[in-house]
Amino acid sequence: MKISMWVNGVHRDLEVPPLKRLLDVLREDLDLVGAKEGCGEGECGACAVILDGRLVNSCLLPAYRAHGRVVRTIEGLGTPERPDPVQAAFVAEGAVQCGYCIPGLVMASRALLDDEAGPSRPRIREALAGNLCRCTGYERVVRAVELAARAPQRACGDEPAAGPWSSPQASTGDDVTVHLPTTLREACELLARGGVTVVGGATDLGVLLHEGIVSPAALLDLSRVAEVHGVRREGGALVIGAATPYADLMRDPDVARDLPCLHEAVRTVGAPAIQSLGTLGGNLVNGSPGADAVPPLLALDARVRLVSAAGEREVSADAFFTGYRATVRRDDELVAAVVVPVPAAGTRQSFRKAGTRRAQAIAKVNLAACARIEDGTLREVRLAAGSVGPTVVLLRVAMAILEGGRVADLERLAGAAAAAARDEVTPIDDVRSTERYRREVTGNLVARFVTSLSS
Amino acid sequence: MPAPPDRRHVGAPLPRLDAWGKVTGATTFLSDEPRSDAWLGAAVRSPLPHARLVSVSKTAAFPPQAVLLTAADLPCANLVAMVREDLPLLAADEVRFATQPVALVAAPDRETLKAALAAVAVELEELPAVLDLDAALRGEGPVWGADNVVAEYRIDRGDPDAAFASAVTVVEGTYSTGYQEHMYLEPQGVVATPRPDGGVEILGSLQCPYYIHNALKRALGLDGDRVVVRQSPTGGAFGGKEDYPSILALQAAVLALRCGQPVSMIYERREDVACTTKRHPSRTRYRSAFDGEGRLLAVDIDLVLDAGAFTTLSPVVLSRGVLHVAGPYRVPHARIRGRTVATHTPPNGAFRGFGVPKAAFACERQMDRAARRLGLDPAELRRRNLVRDGDTFVFGQTLRPGMAAADLVLERVLDRSGYEQRRREARAFNAGGGPLRRGVGVTLTMHGGGFTGDGEDRIKGKVAVRLDPDGLVTLLVSSVEMGQGAATVLPQIAAEALGLPVGRIRFHQPDTSAVPDSGPTVASRTTMVVGRILVAACRQLADKARAFAGDKAADPLLAAGHAGLTATAVYESDPDIDWDQSTMHGDAYQGWSWAAAVAEVEVDVDTMEVRPVRLTHVVEIGCAVNPVLCVGQVEGGALQGLAWGHLEEMKLKDGRYWNDRMSTYIIPTSLDAPDFDVELAELPSPRGPFGAKGLGELPLNAGAPALAAAVEDALDIEVFEAPVTPEILLARWREVSR
Repeated sequence: MKISMWVNGVHRDLEVPPLKRLLDVLREDLDLVGAKEGCGEGECGACAVILDGRLVNSCLLPAYRAHGRVVRTIEGLGTPERPDPVQAAFVAEGAVQCGYCIPGLVMASRALLDDEAGPSRPRIREALAGNLCRCTGYERVVRAVELAARAPQRACGDEPAAGPWSSPQASTGDDVTVHLPTTLREACELLARGGVTVVGGATDLGVLLHEGIVSPAALLDLSRVAEVHGVRREGGALVIGAATPYADLMRDPDVARDLPCLHEAVRTVGAPAIQSLGTLGGNLVNGSPGADAVPPLLALDARVRLVSAAGEREVSADAFFTGYRATVRRDDELVAAVVVPVPAAGTRQSFRKAGTRRAQAIAKVNLAACARIEDGTLREVRLAAGSVGPTVVLLRVAMAILEGGRVADLERLAGAAAAAARDEVTPIDDVRSTERYRREVTGNLVARFVTSLSS
Repeated sequence: MPAPPDRRHVGAPLPRLDAWGKVTGATTFLSDEPRSDAWLGAAVRSPLPHARLVSVSKTAAFPPQAVLLTAADLPCANLVAMVREDLPLLAADEVRFATQPVALVAAPDRETLKAALAAVAVELEELPAVLDLDAALRGEGPVWGADNVVAEYRIDRGDPDAAFASAVTVVEGTYSTGYQEHMYLEPQGVVATPRPDGGVEILGSLQCPYYIHNALKRALGLDGDRVVVRQSPTGGAFGGKEDYPSILALQAAVLALRCGQPVSMIYERREDVACTTKRHPSRTRYRSAFDGEGRLLAVDIDLVLDAGAFTTLSPVVLSRGVLHVAGPYRVPHARIRGRTVATHTPPNGAFRGFGVPKAAFACERQMDRAARRLGLDPAELRRRNLVRDGDTFVFGQTLRPGMAAADLVLERVLDRSGYEQRRREARAFNAGGGPLRRGVGVTLTMHGGGFTGDGEDRIKGKVAVRLDPDGLVTLLVSSVEMGQGAATVLPQIAAEALGLPVGRIRFHQPDTSAVPDSGPTVASRTTMVVGRILVAACRQLADKARAFAGDKAADPLLAAGHAGLTATAVYESDPDIDWDQSTMHGDAYQGWSWAAAVAEVEVDVDTMEVRPVRLTHVVEIGCAVNPVLCVGQVEGGALQGLAWGHLEEMKLKDGRYWNDRMSTYIIPTSLDAPDFDVELAELPSPRGPFGAKGLGELPLNAGAPALAAAVEDALDIEVFEAPVTPEILLARWREVSR
């Protein structure tokens, strides 16, 4: 495939296999070896670069997705003679030890400071959470970013704007066909012909490709379909385009205000470099029971909008999943959007994830919960839990116990709902946790939500 | 304490000399250099933990240009020399752990290699496997030797039975610690290149060039000149690149010699995690006898380490563990038994701390358990028992004046952290109910720098310095820079010894054809031991330069630049050291470093997630040659310890590591790390350069016990294990609250 991109201010034309990882393109084709491979699965961030202003893991991004985009790597940041303030601060604060994670950490810091001036310590920790460092304990790194934030930032004047987007040109030797439609209709028509794998953010695909678990013949990439991007209001609902990256969703003021449990859940997905790419649609279609953004959709009684050349239908998020990594989506259908009704004023929403760690974590258990109090009575109670069965599930027994319950009776209700929740989930022991823990914590989180309604 | 002498370079917070290369991406790690001529090598591994190896053969699909080597085809002795020579390079007729290599394959490119690996047929006949410590202790198998005991050490002092009989309080506890994966960010890798003289050259990410040099000489039967080992910039090691690179380099070397081509073996993460060595799991049964004032009378300790299937470094790890397991305390009577036993699991090896973290965990948990039983504050119990100058450790080493700093670091950390007030605040917070609990824990640990006993005398580290025509002095040492700062700290020491600016010092990348054997980069010995030899070499060089340039030369080292001067120094111990290796008695370590830490945690009782909030750490290290680098070592080591204490869990499934990727073996992110507050205390030691002692491993010792103590304080339930996972805590919390 022939692709063009701006790399560190220089326009580059390349002919590469479409699914070659951006990391390998940078390292092998462009001799930019600053970005490193530490894990090959988007976990460590040593390969992080800035793509159109956002941090991404270059080990997950197929080359075709870089076409028409602006890439910045550590090599384009500064030199010892004319360093970026982040680089100077890392040297001054002693934030460097073995150095292998440093290109990624420096780029993550740069992306943060490009995004906001004077970030707080917790914000800095959050922004660096997808960049694992085994040497420093992070203290010097956080201090370096604080120092860099106080220095005058250098304008990067030679950076062009991304686009305009032409389609990358296929080459005869390509082992995969990549479709990059720009309209939903076009996408549906391509899908109707069959034989394509739909791609959202490519964060899962990147791992599967690298490990040789999948080798698709053709891809249908939604990243250029404007209709499946963005958040808009339709009547009493927010309609979230399925290919909207989490990074956009997190920053959306309507989502933050009206759907705080979804907002909170999205913030816990991976870390910034994953959030730049990952999408709600991908999280749904992938069908993992541990998908962080999905429990809020069930708790908010969202509908999944499926579109095909034959028409459109909506399915409740709860009915969307049929089993482990299985959904009602037909092969000719795309998840185009998620329609989330804005709950009535006064509805309490909560999301809590018990993960393997505080960021870049797969949930051991997560719980999204909504309820409203009307005349001292609980109404529209919805509880959805993840990682406790083959799919994300509504805790129906617990919900039934709570619905119509009196606020005066909250303590008893909390205990009863928690016990019911523990019974109705069907978790397993796996590499991350145990059945027992998952049952117990599901109940605890239910009780915690219910108890919190008294305040 | 005397006022510190007027120094210009030692003690300066100099930015590390390799920092700019690293922050600009210019530093080239092994995989960063294009090697289009190199073939790729890989191992064919056993999926089973214990089996008879019936056959290894090529199927018809095996690409003709690829190469397969089995044990029968090896052009060399089938052994990897470490402490013993029991580990074969390739399993010959019996497989003793899952992932054990049974064959090696090389091919000119990735696709051919993949095809070749898929076309190797391995026939195994499964045998019963011994996978747990108890079975190994019963002698089942046996996996190794006659009874699975790979090594055993004992320390006996006084009359412990009488002391226990006279005790007012006896405290017993059993403590266990788990595997730990190093998870250096740069995976293991080497490239082997055949030499025209029939030898081989290794370039790799490694800690100990001469360990590999020795392993290659031994197996290949080559003389030393025909084996060259060079270190590439190394992206973290933590002990993980002490032992394993000898295996990997030998694999690559035999393939390279067989193919006549350079062979590259650079691991991807999964292979690295699945196949390389880990910290040994341990179990320690600990009994302590106290008098009526809470003073220790005696200990009776049984420490067991899981060695895995072969010896590797386990006896050395064990001996260090045994020497540290009674902790920084005065113990008049002791019976200590340490064993490391074999199981059909991948061999365990070196990891920063090297036996001490698990020993310290058991010792410090036991002190906390004792404090609860005795009704004393944990800090007060430690204060009553800690060693001071003039006290004698259970293994017979008497602390000379100025050697003991347990008291200093403990009092400093209590003061600096506001320990008592923070404990009171935590109590008040917890009394308010709610799902969060806070806790504060203190721990006191120590670490012996350098090799144990007469180890340094036996290896006799050698250092050379060379004066170059440009007036720069080149340091020729085999100590590697792996992130810890050797390539900055050693130049600072040399600059101080020579009276030159650091800019006049060059650090030579370790290369066995150019640098002498200064010993391995392990055991917190680089600054203290290699630095000491370096000072001697520098002083010789300065004398030679003055002799050459004359007394009047303003800058004799510049004036003598063209004279081709070099100086070499060899380790010489002080004459007053007394050590008996056969009884493990005497001056076990020349320099003891001390650390005390106070951890503050927050625990969510609904999920039992533990969040370390703050860690205050005071370390006494003799002399902080570079304070910024020292603080970085303390913070990074402490986080590894904290995470081992609660996050990092490696599970075995059918004898294989289950958490074999970064998404399942959990190391901390920036959000999992606490705020650190570090103080460096300095009681100069006569044994190290400018008073410096060891530091690298020390901070790892305190993390897990401090965290466990804080969790215990927060929840009022006892903690016996590292990692103490949310799953364990939740189960124990339920037991207690029912």
